[in-house]
Amino acid sequence: MTSESRLDRAARSESIVFTVNGRPCAVDVHPDTPLLYVLRNDLKLKGTRFGCASGLCGACTVHVDGRAVTSCDLPMWSVAGHTVTTIEGLAGEGGLHPLQQAFVDEGAGQCGYCLSGILMSAAALLADTPSPSLDEITAALERNVCRCGVHARVIRAIRAAGGKHP
Amino acid sequence: MDRAILDAPEVRIEGRDKVTGSARYVGDLVREGMLHVAYTRSPYPHARFASVDTRRAETMPGVHAILTGADVRPRRLGRRLQDWPLLAWDRVRMVGDRVAAVAAGTLAEAEAAAQAVDVEYQELPAIFDVDASLAPGAPILHPEAADYTFLRATRPTFEHPNIQGHAVHEHGDARAAMATAAHVFEHSFEIARVVAGALEPHASLAWLEGEVVHVQSTNKSPFRLRDQVSAALDIPLDQLVIDSGVIGGDFGGKGSSIDDFVLIPLARRTGRPVRVVTRYADELRATNSRHMARITLRTGLDEEGRIVAHEARIVYDGGAYGAAKGNVAQVPGGWRNTLVGYRIPNARIEAISVYTNNVPGGHARAPGQVQNAFAAESHVDLMARALGIDPVELRRRNAIRDGETDLLGRRWTQSAMPAILDHLADVAAARGSRRPGVGRGIAIGARSLPAAELDATVELSVGRDGIVEVLTGVTDQGGGAHTALQRIVAQALGVPLGRVRVRRGTTAEAPWDHGVGGSRVTPVVGGAALAGARLLRASLEELAPGAAIETQLQQAAERPDGVRVTGSFEHAQGFFSTFGCAVEVDVDRETGHVRLGDCTFIADVGTVVNPVALRGQLLGGFAMGLGQALMEELQIEDGVVTTANLGDYKMPVMADVPPLNVVLLTEFVGDGPFGAKSAGELANVAVAPAIANAIEDAVGVRVTSLPITAEKVLAGLRQAGS
Repeated sequence: MTSESRLDRAARSESIVFTVNGRPCAVDVHPDTPLLYVLRNDLKLKGTRFGCASGLCGACTVHVDGRAVTSCDLPMWSVAGHTVTTIEGLAGEGGLHPLQQAFVDEGAGQCGYCLSGILMSAAALLADTPSPSLDEITAALERNVCRCGVHARVIRAIRAAGGKHP
Repeated sequence: MDRAILDAPEVRIEGRDKVTGSARYVGDLVREGMLHVAYTRSPYPHARFASVDTRRAETMPGVHAILTGADVRPRRLGRRLQDWPLLAWDRVRMVGDRVAAVAAGTLAEAEAAAQAVDVEYQELPAIFDVDASLAPGAPILHPEAADYTFLRATRPTFEHPNIQGHAVHEHGDARAAMATAAHVFEHSFEIARVVAGALEPHASLAWLEGEVVHVQSTNKSPFRLRDQVSAALDIPLDQLVIDSGVIGGDFGGKGSSIDDFVLIPLARRTGRPVRVVTRYADELRATNSRHMARITLRTGLDEEGRIVAHEARIVYDGGAYGAAKGNVAQVPGGWRNTLVGYRIPNARIEAISVYTNNVPGGHARAPGQVQNAFAAESHVDLMARALGIDPVELRRRNAIRDGETDLLGRRWTQSAMPAILDHLADVAAARGSRRPGVGRGIAIGARSLPAAELDATVELSVGRDGIVEVLTGVTDQGGGAHTALQRIVAQALGVPLGRVRVRRGTTAEAPWDHGVGGSRVTPVVGGAALAGARLLRASLEELAPGAAIETQLQQAAERPDGVRVTGSFEHAQGFFSTFGCAVEVDVDRETGHVRLGDCTFIADVGTVVNPVALRGQLLGGFAMGLGQALMEELQIEDGVVTTANLGDYKMPVMADVPPLNVVLLTEFVGDGPFGAKSAGELANVAVAPAIANAIEDAVGVRVTSLPITAEKVLAGLRQAGS
């Protein structure tokens, strides 16, 4: 794309209404703007991480209508009218989601950069499949990279949380 | 010893912030009026240019300033050798080299304007291969090398201008001893370029407060970065404040900063805070990588299979700039560590790094040693096979024991290597017979701390709240540094963990520190924390002799100035963590695909301070090692990185990482706090050679280059079959 067209696009913003962490939201952006940028820059929800910017590392994973999706390559037009949940909305009011507690208990995280995304992928899995098999866990996390490499602990934490999922 | 705290459950201080998303990394930080920065980058691996035309870009919306090489000449950046222009002014040496920096109101505006900067390049002949770099008539990539700043040391002169660094180690007389050997073996290996691969991209935010420059950086060694910036930009140290907060992974790559330098003139030009978050494609193609290496090893043994002489020649692709390497030799720090952990009476090791027009070589977890270990531990297995000696047995005959000399000429005490081999033999025995297509391999090794970074200082104080505060310049890149320091101080004082708070200070607040790296935090900075805790204990005892620690802390809290001590520590040289790795592989003869089975890692780690973090380092090291062994290669074609996204550059995910059995040997105590050693750079070193050895055991195919792709295994199977 040429530089001019990028700026033209920025000029053609629209009001997009959607729900974030239970609250209705309206933002004026170009409809092609990735959801991640709106979450981080407009709504100041910094917990969703900016990683590879191509939907390949999973650090920016959020829920749209309960499904885990990467937000860096998801255009805003596609979430209009939909419900988005970020890591900030995972636990509800106060306290930790059982998954978050299990990750703390298992030491499943080191630098932490992948964790928001992994937790959101795992939460979507547990919502559908409360007691997932190893294969179901690895499939659900196939697009979440963790360089610190505590994969075994992540799997244990997901299994531990599975039983306690509300 | 009372181990009340060391045995207490480990709760990561920042654990909760990281699972709730509330941890703030540099890319999350925003300052009032902040501008975003994007670069115009070279599309050519080697080219000259006469001018950079910014006129069109300057008129574009949102643009506040554009800097080109002309604005920063002759300023160059680097950790030791400052050979990388902040922005190129007449010549680019790699694809992705920075030519102009644009500061604009939004990232989209900055990126759009960066694309509108016009540069007329004249392509030059380029070098993509280490051998070509030293060939007669090769283009000279750094004709101005004599002008380069070399920090804290004098750079030697070299016989060829494309040499970045050159180092030779000798002890005994390898040549003479080799001539007496009953058997001499020589093997060559090639290790592909890989990346450290932290998920958090490099990021930096700079702003001015009067004369004082502030930089918030992902750099894991902020004091070192301050020195580098000060030298490169002629800024007095007291006008530079660098803060490294929560770092989203390092793996060696975050010791090097690039953007932090050019942001400062941009902040000055615009009068605004400026921030860069590196695009991941640029992380892969234009920051720094683990050096690609070609290694030839030659070892002589006597009739009994005992090593009498060892020679190594290692050539590293240093890439376009040496800036990302921190050491004096300008070859990756572990360049000497080939047959480390063995008794080597005579050795000669020569390493050279050369300039090419590829991605700069830099540090990645156990720099240099990973390359050497793949070569050395493959070499030992090849020798064992040729001699008809079991691989464990050949290693036993040569494993270093107390009082013996290693390949660096150092005498060992408390060698855990025989114990490591006993464990490896036990693992082999327990596995019993195997079915066809399954193979087993082992590798061993050892790691010492970097000799130049063995000292540390922290400050401890008791404030009004009666809490013991540890002030350190050490940041946490994920290894759990602050939790370790908290546990060490609480253990030494005999107080609950909640009575100790660890505070990371900026370079203006905290005592000087070398930074995170070289596995030094627990043994070295932890040693300073322990020394400080002991001094604090003595001060408290003076304040209220014989009273309980709680009473003493209360009294200290009531004093107007509290109580304050400085803890310093210097770790002994020649200290080793040893390790062994045993893997089982299942090789598909139809496809060459290698599947990992049962894997065990045995680590001699001394006293364990933080068991969860320590095991986490070993698990993570193993995963990183298997990525490099089987999957990862930063591929470059004619200077262009062709794996510039995480779809093409595949790092291990859940499905790729098998469970790892971790065995800790704690009886060989180290010089760190309470006898601690380190664990950060052990596991990733041994994985690749263990896998290569297991593959030969399984199907008789020897792969001598990394990564061990299915294609290479299949080619070997076909060759053996034909």
